[in-house]
Amino acid sequence: MNHVTSETFDENAKAALADSQLRGALRNATSLFGKRRLAAAQGLTNWEDLRTQARAIKDDVLLHLDQYLENFVSQAEARGAKFHWARDGAEANAIICRLAAERNARSIVKSKSMTTEETHLNVALEAAGIQVIETDLGEYIIQLAEETPSHIIVPAIHKTKRQIAELFTQELGIPPTDDVAKLTSTARATLRDRFAAADIGISGVNFGVAETGTIVILENEGNIRLTTSLPRFHIAVMGIEKVVPRFADLDIFLKLLPRSGTGQRLTTYQSFITGTKQNAFDDGPEELHVVMLDNGRSRMLAHPVTRQSLACIRCGACLNACPVYQQIGGHAYGSVYPGPIGAVITPQLMGLEKTQQLPYASSLCGACREVCPVKIDIPRLLLHLRGEITEKSSPEVQQAKGRTMERFAFKMWRLMMLRPWAYNLSARVGRLFQGLVVKDGKIGRVKSFVGPLAAWTSGRDLRPLDQKSFRDKWASDQGKS
Amino acid sequence: MEERSNRNSREAIFESIRGALAASKVLDAKESELHHAAEAAAYLQPGIKHDVASLVELFKENLEAVDGHCIIVETRSDVVQALYEIINKLQGTYLKAKRIAVSDSSEIERLVNLVDVDVDTFAVAPTASEVFNFDVGITYAQAGIAETGTLVLDSSRERNRLVSLVPPVHIAILNASSIVQTLGEALATLRQAEEVSPIITLVTGPSRTADIELTLAIGVHGPQELYVIVNKNLEE
Repeated sequence: MNHVTSETFDENAKAALADSQLRGALRNATSLFGKRRLAAAQGLTNWEDLRTQARAIKDDVLLHLDQYLENFVSQAEARGAKFHWARDGAEANAIICRLAAERNARSIVKSKSMTTEETHLNVALEAAGIQVIETDLGEYIIQLAEETPSHIIVPAIHKTKRQIAELFTQELGIPPTDDVAKLTSTARATLRDRFAAADIGISGVNFGVAETGTIVILENEGNIRLTTSLPRFHIAVMGIEKVVPRFADLDIFLKLLPRSGTGQRLTTYQSFITGTKQNAFDDGPEELHVVMLDNGRSRMLAHPVTRQSLACIRCGACLNACPVYQQIGGHAYGSVYPGPIGAVITPQLMGLEKTQQLPYASSLCGACREVCPVKIDIPRLLLHLRGEITEKSSPEVQQAKGRTMERFAFKMWRLMMLRPWAYNLSARVGRLFQGLVVKDGKIGRVKSFVGPLAAWTSGRDLRPLDQKSFRDKWASDQGKS
Repeated sequence: MEERSNRNSREAIFESIRGALAASKVLDAKESELHHAAEAAAYLQPGIKHDVASLVELFKENLEAVDGHCIIVETRSDVVQALYEIINKLQGTYLKAKRIAVSDSSEIERLVNLVDVDVDTFAVAPTASEVFNFDVGITYAQAGIAETGTLVLDSSRERNRLVSLVPPVHIAILNASSIVQTLGEALATLRQAEEVSPIITLVTGPSRTADIELTLAIGVHGPQELYVIVNKNLEE
């Protein structure tokens, strides 16, 4: 499943559907996380209020993002943090490579960060001759296997323990085992040496508090604490949308994020980092550098519908709830952010040209909206992006496979729905001829159909039209009374 | 050079943010779903006075639910006894517990000196390069959160950042009177400080992962064992 791209989503999805091991793993993971999330949410009496408050805070932040960013930066700078601004991924990577080179860094430890996955930081660092080790267990496995994450919270969800054991035997030289505890302790022992030797630690950021300049990072394993405590230099990479106004707001987000992600009331560790250490002899890095990444985010502020995408706190709940993700997993989306939120973020980050299949990778069932802790209306966003594809994008995108036919079909449908006589006529014609395709009381796969109609009927059964329409029944009932 | 390009990028990003927000003004006016900022005060409950004994019980219950060990004691000499029992027990396991590191709190050092066990190495707040050589780290916890079984480690109060993290066993001593009921109360207290501490860590149980086939494994990168000794300080 390496090197798939969003452009080939339809083919990726087909390949994933044929992979029974992958689908089994996805079924286990998504149903388990779904159940845990529900139980955790029900454990709080004010879950809905928390969601509303969280969204209100995010809306406030996004509508005044420039002010909150200025506050956050000036507070953190006053406490010794250094800020670097990156308009896109390449600029962020260049900044980090330069910081590493200036400090003669040879070895870097990294904790999980979707933002650095987005910029493909590891590729850039390796090209610059700097060794970089992922330290989150799932990310470490993925890095050893030279793959990409398939889930925001559980990156190696697609791999079985047998595959991981084989990988460890091959790469780390341990005797074959299928004991998860042994595999975990092997990773612990191997990575301890890396932590001890690393010059720089690179982390992501979950929340940046404007009023105090504090960076907050959540985790379960302890690798983020090690990454941000042991090396002499800490570089944190943060999307510009990750600001919250007040320290007290963390109460709400720390209740929502772990419960939505893994069903925990709190993850094992929350690190609150405010600037650099106060005394030279204190534990912790000498320098804190924060790289602020735009990479298409500021553009999303320009419309209330697309702006919602920036409220996302990367919990992964919508992945687990999505009937499409549940079947195909993360790799098929061909980008860092999979699932429903990926289907709306990826096209906005990368442009619709290369991602136009993604907004259609949804049945618009609304499960994602139901579980989203910050109430992002993902179906509305999907429809908005579909609208952009059919109305506003380049002719190349508009005329892509299926789009012309789709537009024609909806034009005809509109014509019909606006004219009662046309609607009646088409229903009568349909009733007259449906006998040709109805078998066993349903319209199944019709071999004589071609094009979109064939595609439609090969995937689903339709109910035939009733012999008498509602309008006819209504008219005759009115006659009786 | 770099300074200037950093300034340029910053300017460009802020310009883009302001431009986009200005462009969406008209649309925002029509957007009925736009929520308005909630007041922080509305959801930060004031510090309700709870009965200490019930907070201690709640803390213990929630800590044990996430695989932490909790020992409730009543006096300072009980703390010494509890430390003795924990270390003595661990010395019989693969964790050995022969090399002990403590935070730089002088009281912790005094307490551990009273513990009558055989120890190979003892150090106060070892550095990043030394701290890997210890089996047990002993620190204070500056506060506890009862409803989640969480420890609040504030590294401006003692050097506990590495000692609580790197050794495979972490033993924390917590005064019962510093346990609060909710996360919100703990955050409010941390915020009240004149300056927010440079590094605060919330710890809920030992390190864990479920990254391999969703099977829970305890002790990945952080401590594999977490012991909390809650002292009710009844002698005073």
